[in-house]
Amino acid sequence: MSHEPPPANRNPGPEAGHRSGVTGRGPRIGVFVCHCGKNIAATVNVEQVVEAISHYPGVVYAARHEYMCSDPGQDLIKKAIGEHRLTGVVVAACSPSMHETTFRRAAEEAGLNPYLLEIANIREGCSWVHEGPETTDKAIRIARAMVEKVKGNHPLSPIEVGHAAKCLVIGGGISGIQAALDIADAGFEVLLVERTPSIGGRMAQLSETFPTLDCSQCILTPKMVEASRHPRIRLLTYSEVAEVTGYLGNYHVVIRKKPTYVDPDKCNLCGDCATACPIRVPSEFDRGLSERAAIYVPFPQAVPSSYTLDEASCLGLNPLRCSECAKVCTAGAIDYDMPEERIEEDVGAIVVATGYDLYEKERMAEYGYGTVPDVIDGLEFERILSAGGPTKGEVRRPSDGKVPKEVVFIQCSGSRDPELHKSYCSKICCMYTAKHALLYRHNVHDGKAYVFYIDIRAGGKDYEEFVVRAMEDERILYLRGKVAKVFRDGDKVVVWGVDTLTGKRVEVAADLVVLAQAMVPSAGTGELARKLRIACGGEGFLKEAHPKLRPLEALTAGIFLAGAAHGPKDIPEAVAQGSGAAAKAIAILSAPVLTHSPEVAEVNEDLCSGCAICVPQCPYGAITPGDVAHVNELLCEGCGTCVAACPSGAMTMRNHTDLQVERMIRAALAEAVEVAGG
Amino acid sequence: MVGKPKIAVYWTGGCGGCDVSFLELGAPLLDVLAKVEIAFWPALVDAKRADVEAFAPRSLAATLINGTLRTEENVEMVHLLREKSQLVVAFGACAHLGGVPGLANLVSREETLRRVYGDGFAIAPPPGGEADDAPPNLLPQAQPLSTEVTVDYVVPGCPPPPALIGLLFDALLSGDLPPAGHVFAHDKALCEECPRTREDRVLTKIVRPHELVPDPEACLLDQGMICLGPVTRGGCGAACPKAGMPCTGCLGPTPHAGDPGLAMISALASLVRAGDEGEASFAGEDAVLDSLVDPVGTLYKYSLPSYVAKRRSG
Repeated sequence: MSHEPPPANRNPGPEAGHRSGVTGRGPRIGVFVCHCGKNIAATVNVEQVVEAISHYPGVVYAARHEYMCSDPGQDLIKKAIGEHRLTGVVVAACSPSMHETTFRRAAEEAGLNPYLLEIANIREGCSWVHEGPETTDKAIRIARAMVEKVKGNHPLSPIEVGHAAKCLVIGGGISGIQAALDIADAGFEVLLVERTPSIGGRMAQLSETFPTLDCSQCILTPKMVEASRHPRIRLLTYSEVAEVTGYLGNYHVVIRKKPTYVDPDKCNLCGDCATACPIRVPSEFDRGLSERAAIYVPFPQAVPSSYTLDEASCLGLNPLRCSECAKVCTAGAIDYDMPEERIEEDVGAIVVATGYDLYEKERMAEYGYGTVPDVIDGLEFERILSAGGPTKGEVRRPSDGKVPKEVVFIQCSGSRDPELHKSYCSKICCMYTAKHALLYRHNVHDGKAYVFYIDIRAGGKDYEEFVVRAMEDERILYLRGKVAKVFRDGDKVVVWGVDTLTGKRVEVAADLVVLAQAMVPSAGTGELARKLRIACGGEGFLKEAHPKLRPLEALTAGIFLAGAAHGPKDIPEAVAQGSGAAAKAIAILSAPVLTHSPEVAEVNEDLCSGCAICVPQCPYGAITPGDVAHVNELLCEGCGTCVAACPSGAMTMRNHTDLQVERMIRAALAEAVEVAGG
Repeated sequence: MVGKPKIAVYWTGGCGGCDVSFLELGAPLLDVLAKVEIAFWPALVDAKRADVEAFAPRSLAATLINGTLRTEENVEMVHLLREKSQLVVAFGACAHLGGVPGLANLVSREETLRRVYGDGFAIAPPPGGEADDAPPNLLPQAQPLSTEVTVDYVVPGCPPPPALIGLLFDALLSGDLPPAGHVFAHDKALCEECPRTREDRVLTKIVRPHELVPDPEACLLDQGMICLGPVTRGGCGAACPKAGMPCTGCLGPTPHAGDPGLAMISALASLVRAGDEGEASFAGEDAVLDSLVDPVGTLYKYSLPSYVAKRRSG
């Protein structure tokens, strides 16, 4: 029957409802019910919904369509708005997060204020989760409730605001670098803030990348150099975001740039200072496998290429205590009095790309991690494999420098272990473990490699082929099972495990054990998220606005997520997300004017006593206390928490007042409307 | 002068404090008394019900009624006074919202009588008296004045603060009357008038007034006292919080607060914090809220009959 023109029920007028149509100026609501193919129509009798709602007070027109979001469906709405002089529209269809914009735009094209259109969600909350005749009854109730809401709605206009044409990118790893380059190439100024002395991030620490075995630094460093030379990128390394205030398009950020005590313009990288420095501390870049001086360059290709004097390790920044570095610096680059810089900027958008750390060693006691020196994590092994690493690329184990002849790789170390560790999959470990084993075999031809795995997740372009190559061509022994225990026995590291495919116990007396340690958000992610007023998920990774449809956005408008700060991901994904976040940011930076939903909280200044109970409730920091509370409409995302907290009813949500909610509840709970005929 | 306007003051189920509160006006009371004729005021003037019955309808310019409606006789009297009055003013928290005696609604009338008089209580005339001499029966529940008669104005408070009584007389004597239903108090909550400073808007503990000597500057709610200031009309000058006692809500809820107890529960639930956010802190937050002793008596001290549905019937 779908070829027929959509049937329409007309409510002839006042006698249909005892409360409606008292005068010609009463509400004239149109209700449009969507079949959504079978999504709604399979469990909801759409005809009955149309019939029932057409008799509801205030409803003057009701119709249905196979796909209301289709052009003919939208045309049906537009036509009815004109023909029936509708003062409000309810579209009973899917979630408002799907098509509210679609239908509001259609309403606007037909001359109806878009905020007089509401969605009654009869799909996600109704047809998908119920079956039987009550499903139709519930759909009618939901539609009735939304008719009541629309009756109380007022026409609104979007709030317009100008913006700064500059972007802040937090985190100088590959994802942040990519975002910064894309935004700068689009013609906008970028502040790229990196906490460590050099950009490059984790990718700079890697040896080769899967599945192509490209040299990681070789493909990364051109991007680092490009970022440092870009006329529109201001690189702020050794810096941290101290404060963030403001809102979409108009964030005010304060950045603290720690003193490096070395003038980068004067430093000629001769390295005499580091040689002269009497201090040696573990190198962060080499994951503690080598040492560095208190004055150091993290790695040779560091950008900016200048030495940094690490205040925490230095004997005291004081010529009386030690000034060996300054004495030998012929360039005169060292300045113990260099102050901390405080940089304040207005930016229109923010990209957060703060990356990941590996799960703490101390928590993996069952694998001897942190106590047995020859149990190392994946990043340590990357450094061992790197030509620029502590062993110059030769595979040698940390304890005695011997070439390990038997190496055990343990996957899911700390991942997929909800009882003791992290419940999630760290996603990249299957791939990099295959790479590690393969590179190890390339390096040590007579070496034996074992991989303990739960299962292999190689979902990526050419990934499966890469793992198969490692297994078959390189004769790496993949053992399916978890390792029970790792302990030291003489100069061996004994691994006890079970091969669940054969059911046999496996014991390997290995020379080296490499743990594919779980990825966790980098230290300080939570603190930064609080400053930015964005959310973190249960595991501490930054939370996106919608897991499917808004994966690049934080819930706070104008803040975008990129890279592993958002969740475990590999390099191509981190780069893609960096570019994606950049595109989102560019959309803001290039907009002539920004708009914000007018459906925000509003203070009735005649009722507000300034008690300020609302202030700490706001997750967006939109409320300023005073004699009366003040809501920054551009910061407000319309969540309504303040409205619920306000004890005197002074705070209301536009088009979502208590009165409307009460009428909606009454409409939803009222006696079932008699459905005639079926 | 054609004769002064006649006024009446009547008490139903009250404590007498409202009658005494007029004295708080001080010297201005004399000016007021000079301008009106007191036709009926049991606390001051010897007049009986029969005298009131003899008044012409609407012959009283205004009748100020205090006390909750608790007996059948209360109901008869307020209907009688309504008939004889141009304006009826609910005077004080009992007439306005039910008042402290309204907390008796937590138990049935029979239970109330049993607790006060013991078992075997029955309404009967005094020994040797006529059946008509029996005391009036209690109503099933205490009720605010507006449940029986139309109330034109409200002077809230327990008892009403002199400043608000003054506003009523100013209006009555000047003839510049506010619209019907007006409450002689502020629409804003009394936090507006409270000099205490609000800093950390979090509730980490709940303390009762006797458990704490409060900081003289800081908001009492921030110190853990359940101060109903945020839901209660201003107009008293925040007298209690200024003296270090939390507001107990006698001026009644602000016009859009709705049910003041629910509004306050909502606010307290918003403010409570125990540790970092997230599910781990829920138990701690519950413990803080559970430490509120006598929630009904705290949150509905004056307003139980107006807001809490009748649950127990005789």
